[in-house]
Amino acid sequence: MSIFIDRSTKVLVQGITGKEGSFWTKHMMDLGTNVVCGVTPGKEGQEVEGVPVYHSVKEASLHHDVDASMLFVPPKFTKDAVFEALDAGIKKIVTIGDGIPLHDMVAIRQASKEQGAMVVGGNTSGVISPALAMMGSFPHWIERVYKKGNIGVMTRSGSLTNEVTAMVVKAGYGVSTLIGVGGDPVPGTRFAEFLELYEQDEETDAVVIIGELGGTMEEEVAEAIKEGRFTKPLVAFLGGRTAPKGQKMGHAGAIVSGGKGSVEDKIQALTSAGALVADRPRLVGTLLEELGVEKK
Amino acid sequence: MKLYEYQAKEVFEEVGITIPKSKLIERIEDLDDALKEVGTPCVVKSQVLSGGRGKAGLVVFTKTAKEATEEASRLFEHELKIKQLLIEEAVSIKEELYVSITVDPASAKALLIVSKEGGVDIEILASESPEKIIKEPIDMRYGLMPYQASRLAYKLGYDAGISKSLKKIFLKLYHVFVQYDAELVEINPLFITEANEVVAGDGKLMIDDNSMHRQPRFEKGQSDYKSDAEYEAAKEGIPFIEFDGDIGLMCAGAGLTTTVYDLIHYEGGSVANYLEFGGPNYKKALESMQICLIVPSKVILVVTFGTIARADVMARGIVDAIKELQPDRPIVTCIRGTNEQEAVSILKEAGLEPIFDTEEAVRKAVELAKGGRL
Repeated sequence: MSIFIDRSTKVLVQGITGKEGSFWTKHMMDLGTNVVCGVTPGKEGQEVEGVPVYHSVKEASLHHDVDASMLFVPPKFTKDAVFEALDAGIKKIVTIGDGIPLHDMVAIRQASKEQGAMVVGGNTSGVISPALAMMGSFPHWIERVYKKGNIGVMTRSGSLTNEVTAMVVKAGYGVSTLIGVGGDPVPGTRFAEFLELYEQDEETDAVVIIGELGGTMEEEVAEAIKEGRFTKPLVAFLGGRTAPKGQKMGHAGAIVSGGKGSVEDKIQALTSAGALVADRPRLVGTLLEELGVEKK
Repeated sequence: MKLYEYQAKEVFEEVGITIPKSKLIERIEDLDDALKEVGTPCVVKSQVLSGGRGKAGLVVFTKTAKEATEEASRLFEHELKIKQLLIEEAVSIKEELYVSITVDPASAKALLIVSKEGGVDIEILASESPEKIIKEPIDMRYGLMPYQASRLAYKLGYDAGISKSLKKIFLKLYHVFVQYDAELVEINPLFITEANEVVAGDGKLMIDDNSMHRQPRFEKGQSDYKSDAEYEAAKEGIPFIEFDGDIGLMCAGAGLTTTVYDLIHYEGGSVANYLEFGGPNYKKALESMQICLIVPSKVILVVTFGTIARADVMARGIVDAIKELQPDRPIVTCIRGTNEQEAVSILKEAGLEPIFDTEEAVRKAVELAKGGRL
């Protein structure tokens, strides 16, 4: 098993005829993702990689069973596209757009929570269960990073995920499911909300979170461990420990503000909950070994 | 995008929030006219985007025209290159409050935050006396309801007149928050004057950068950037921050760049600039290096682990940029990811010694910055 996506997940692609959409649809299918249909208004009747295209999500879902929607939609139109997917009753949505307006993300998160749906992103590469399936833009063919195994990975960053996950793989581990929650201040779904899925997943023996300064998502993970909602071993790596106060470091969400979000606070919260924090990417694998996590 | 105080106050005034009488000047010659309009005593306020202006001596209370002239002259000659001063009427203050509206990511709501202890650093207040801060969640579908604003205003314990004014200000501030796609809108301090008027003593308005396409009113000009390098980077759409250390970073991805920034400090080095040339900018090696070279640094460190941003394309870009720009300082490269074998040969052919391990590359850069050899 894996979480969020596997080979049985029936995926619709919004924005499938665009450059990004068609390119990544091909790679998603190459990995084994079950892409059943796509949507681009005005392009009904066309096909992309043998997949039929419809004018609207509603129309597509009349002809296909759909479990999840993958959005390749520009940030300005993301809110509309997410609401269209929600309106068609889709409960798993991944949006990779970088630059979604803040107030749009508030509306997206609020609506999806109320409807019991999970939106992953924006500003992310998406979700991948290596050797099985993915929704997003991962170069799944890089074995140094995307190797199947028993470690769940959650991350706020893209390039840093390669760096850290490569170290996990180098230590002899692999990944069950990797979820990029994204680098924005308001991600659709937060670290702690995925922990429950990893907790129940038989193929995940431990979780690595790749966090950074800003916000309170890492603190919520600590809370979940303290309250017993997550009981598996957890190792964190956090970027921005030496970042100057009040400085936004790259991601819109990576800033200490209102006295909250410093890496020191996050380390304190996580270690007091019993998680281990790696000072350097290289040490993530070592700490998994220290926790006695089996390599399989 | 962070607005200047005078811009935030312009917006406040437009929605009907009372602000003190004031006049913006850009040269000392205009001070007399401003003083005629505003009167003395007055407050001379530097229009800079950093916080803590009072403590830094950038906001000064002056009693006479002579004092105002002295302070204004001093500030115009300040090393921070202050370009604008707001000359503002000194109101007679009875009390100072704090009020702000921001987004709460976990609950997906807006948050109206009020305290009777304004004028202080709200972060310090939040950690030392959180009980003195009142928070009201706002469902953004419906907006701030009048009853919420009213309930909060009366909770503060003022007389009916002031409470009514506060309620109106909360509602107007929420209007600004929505209209300008704000990350944060804040009035600190919000004055209650001797005449029981409620007046915005300061103004902070931060517009969400991702919403700038639908906020055409405010555009950043060259003078709004801290340096030429920051302006050049912004024009190219390259994320860039200037610091005052030794090592120029030219890395890919926000998280990785931030981590390299940390590792340099762990190794006892310092950072001259943060620059991301990954993602959509991975073909902009030349532009990126050009910007890095504007900054006084001792070495440039390139660290990437690109996927869509192919390693070979980035390596080729670096090599071409070196040929064209003939940098006057060493370049350390650690380029990995898609097609990294090709990247290695491209770098080696150009006489560079590619490194594969981030920490090793960081140590090399720190050593070079301290005067070591390549």
